[in-house]
Amino acid sequence: MTNAELTAYVASHFDGRLVPLDTGRGAPLFEVKLSDLLAVARALRDDPELSLNYLCNLGAIDTGQKLEVVYNIASTTKNLRLDFKVTLSFDTPVVESLKSVWPCADWYEREMWELFGVDVLNHGDLRPLLLPEDWNQGHPMRKNWDAPDFVRMPEL
Amino acid sequence: MEGLPGGAFVLTSLEGVLNHGRSRSLWYLLFGTACCAIELMCTGASRYDFDRLGMMFRASPRQTDLIITAGTITKKMAPRLRRLYDQMAEPRYVIAMGGCTIKGGPFYYDSYSVEKGIDHIVPVDIYIPGCPPRPESLLEGCLHLQQKIARQKLADWQEK
Repeated sequence: MTNAELTAYVASHFDGRLVPLDTGRGAPLFEVKLSDLLAVARALRDDPELSLNYLCNLGAIDTGQKLEVVYNIASTTKNLRLDFKVTLSFDTPVVESLKSVWPCADWYEREMWELFGVDVLNHGDLRPLLLPEDWNQGHPMRKNWDAPDFVRMPEL
Repeated sequence: MEGLPGGAFVLTSLEGVLNHGRSRSLWYLLFGTACCAIELMCTGASRYDFDRLGMMFRASPRQTDLIITAGTITKKMAPRLRRLYDQMAEPRYVIAMGGCTIKGGPFYYDSYSVEKGIDHIVPVDIYIPGCPPRPESLLEGCLHLQQKIARQKLADWQEK
């Protein structure tokens, strides 16, 4: 299945819950509504044509106006790659945990939780993963983050 | 040290003997956290041959006199470094190797995770700049440390 065929297949199935976005490069990217996230993830994994059984990566992006959570998934049997993302506001940065779909989401979600401050519902084990155990200085990957000993690179 | 005429006896001070022994058997801790460790390994290997200075690596802090902080120290690593230092036998010495351990190095700007210098975690004896320093720099730093140890007084050790 080529990328174009994959885009057409995903856009026409799944009740239109995955809206293709034109990036012009890389794996096909889709936008998913926050309320559909868990159902879409499970449907993608269980679809016999796709069998996207592997979550390669999961991360957040702070664009300044909003937060985006991007999921990069792949199929180890069909040799497919696919990305989808959800958009969050800074007021309610909450996503559903995908641990029940891909168990490896566990650590990615912990990392996203501590670095971006994206709360993960039904995760059950949100402890600092990379940051020190006694970290109390907020979420350092946010664009507006600051700390007493944080030195910004001066403009050259 | 003074040789007596006839050559059968040597007169020296207790301080001199201890300093001599300590400065020439600096066993260092196997502690490498980043790319400086590669240079440390190179210095320990046959080309630069650390062993000829009496410096041998030990895997346990309880058997070491010296810790060479070869690499970036993150804020999460800092308490572990302090703990390793506390476990070392006294008198103990610290060499801060590379820019990261001196003042954060390339991670001074725009970094939330890297400690800006280790000298507020452990007392540093010798700073070796470089990113990473060449083995020659590390060897020279160790020679400076030997000279520093040779100048020590008994009273200093009790304070340390």
